[in-house]
Amino acid sequence: MGAASAKTMPYWARGLAPLLGALAVLAMLQWIFGPMHFFVYLSSLVGVNVILAVSLNVVNGMTGQFSIGHAGFMAVGAYLSGLFSLAVKELNIRGLPATLSDQLLLLAAIGVGGVAAAACGFLVGLPSLRLKGDYLAIVTLGFGEIIRVVVQNTETLGGALGLSGIPQRSSFYMVWLWVFVTVLVARRIAGSSHGRSLWAIREDEVAAEAMGVDTTGYKVRSFVVSSFFAGVAGALFAHFVPIINPGSFTFVKSMEVVVMVVAGGLGSTTGAIVAAVCLTLLPEGMRSLFLRLGGEDASLAQKVDQIRMPIYGLLLVLLMLVRPQGLFGTREAWDVLPKWLSRRGPALKGPVA
Amino acid sequence: MTPATVNPPLLEVRAASIQFGGLKALTGFNLEIRQGDLKGLIGPNGAGKTTAFNVLTGVYRPTSGDVFVAGQRVNGKLPHQINRLGLARTFQNIRLFKQLSAVDNVKVACLADSRPLVSAERVAALRRRGSALARLGQMLDATNNYYDWWRALLLTPGFLREEEAVTRRADELLEVMGLAHRRDEEAASLPYGEQRRLEIARALGTRPRVLLLDEPAAGMNTREKSDLMVLIRKLRDQFSLGLLVIEHDMKLVMGICEQITVLDHGETIAYGTPEAVRADPKVVEAYLGEAQPAAAAGASR
Ligand SMILES: Nc1ncnc2c1ncn2[C@@H]1O[C@H](COP(=O)(O)OP(=O)(O)O)[C@@H](O)[C@H]1O
Ligand SMILES: [Mg+2]
Repeated sequence: MGAASAKTMPYWARGLAPLLGALAVLAMLQWIFGPMHFFVYLSSLVGVNVILAVSLNVVNGMTGQFSIGHAGFMAVGAYLSGLFSLAVKELNIRGLPATLSDQLLLLAAIGVGGVAAAACGFLVGLPSLRLKGDYLAIVTLGFGEIIRVVVQNTETLGGALGLSGIPQRSSFYMVWLWVFVTVLVARRIAGSSHGRSLWAIREDEVAAEAMGVDTTGYKVRSFVVSSFFAGVAGALFAHFVPIINPGSFTFVKSMEVVVMVVAGGLGSTTGAIVAAVCLTLLPEGMRSLFLRLGGEDASLAQKVDQIRMPIYGLLLVLLMLVRPQGLFGTREAWDVLPKWLSRRGPALKGPVA
Repeated sequence: MTPATVNPPLLEVRAASIQFGGLKALTGFNLEIRQGDLKGLIGPNGAGKTTAFNVLTGVYRPTSGDVFVAGQRVNGKLPHQINRLGLARTFQNIRLFKQLSAVDNVKVACLADSRPLVSAERVAALRRRGSALARLGQMLDATNNYYDWWRALLLTPGFLREEEAVTRRADELLEVMGLAHRRDEEAASLPYGEQRRLEIARALGTRPRVLLLDEPAAGMNTREKSDLMVLIRKLRDQFSLGLLVIEHDMKLVMGICEQITVLDHGETIAYGTPEAVRADPKVVEAYLGEAQPAAAAGASR
């Protein structure tokens, strides 16, 4: 019956079937893990970083451009969605139960954050992606800093102290739903003529242009999509941390995401996911470990937090020495893992003639 | 009807010149390619042949003169726009998408003939009507692009059909170029001669009406070269192309081209049939200066 109904399903249902499946699974997980606060918090952090890494990978990995201002777009999403949610804090959509109304308002806030970040992506990307060379890196770096400075000096955004009081409406469910959407979009793009055009741009821009690929257009569009999801990540972030301040969206944060993308392999979505998960859990794990070691004295954990960036740098250098192409190179886990597993086989049987 | 209206020029170059600083890389270059033409462009190293290709395909904008593709003036247009008008090329120093498989290289070029939300004709008609509408037309063009993304995201039937069609066409082109057995191999891993053929397959993917080949036989052995000559003729007939070939190997050029333009220091020093060009003292001199034995051999035969 399953196969027959799959054929008769309207195309959009088939196209969105994975999403519907994910909704069901996530609902179940939410039911199980929902009450475990620390788990929800940690998995939300992981999810946000996965969204950031997977979306940055569309630009830095698939299209071969170099953006180092992802935290800036995240900040735009976080602050604008935060302001939106603060404005509608007391609102209750008529005729709906409070939780549903809250979730719908959260979705709207995420939409606001994402669209605002995408618009910024368009404004930043259009002029800089038209030019050949690494202008994007310079401009995105500048953009990230400008956003941070603007936020720091704007009273309505809380200034350096940060914006607090944003309703904590995010949930395990909402974060991972967006993780899923981001990954789905990245993979669907990769599997279409659009993805091929992006790869072509990465491989050889002159040749891509000569083969009829509107290189500027594709670069800008991939950048807009990437910025949108950075904004979404920021919006989600703003709705599960008690306070957002400029310190969360510095250049260090941008570099963190770049490291995740490079470590996972430029162009590999699964690589970005694995790297984001590991590189989020590692420092968090260390922090709780040292908190335990240091007992009530939190200074040890704080010290560890301070050397987080040097540790990242060291990891990156090591990785570049051992595996310069990143974890999965430009491929996906399912392309690479079978080969890794089977390579072990023949090697045990001795040299092949 | 005159023959000209039956078979109008698909590519027309009028007195195109380009200068790099003080260097006149190309001066007063003229050319006309119609369907079925098979013309040659020769000249010693550094004569400006590749530069001529770059001017025609929009990589460089000519300092003076005009280029028309399918009747449209294309000076200042971007390479991808010129390509869409039906002009494709290969590169002398092979520029394949190295990490992509052979079939994906061709598929990039076979960009889905997408079914837009607003047809290109309607957008063009809007543009013709005035400036405010022109802006609207531009925005509609942009929405079309995003519409394409949506189709890919939702896996619409049209999108899936298109993907299938593109794959099929790419496979056909690989077959034509004798590369079907390399389908899934990384482009960079192919031997030299096959990389050159893959470049041609990729260029054909854009459905060109005129194809420019920049030294397609460079680095091939004698046998591969003669095979390629046969293949180039076959391509012209099978795809109703007009062809312009840059080639260093005089024997190859003389063997297949009906008309030959000879460049030296950016200037056209001779134009005509292979026999006429071969006998031209200026050509002999230009090549003797470079002491190219192939030229001398060709001239004495
Ligand atoms: N972008 C450029 N800037 C400066 N000089 C150039 C450029 N492109 C080509 N040239 C010069 O133009 C001349 C013609 O080069 P080219 O067209 O590559 O010759 P060939 O006939 O061997 O293909 C050479 O002297 C080359 O150095
Ligand atoms: Mg050349």
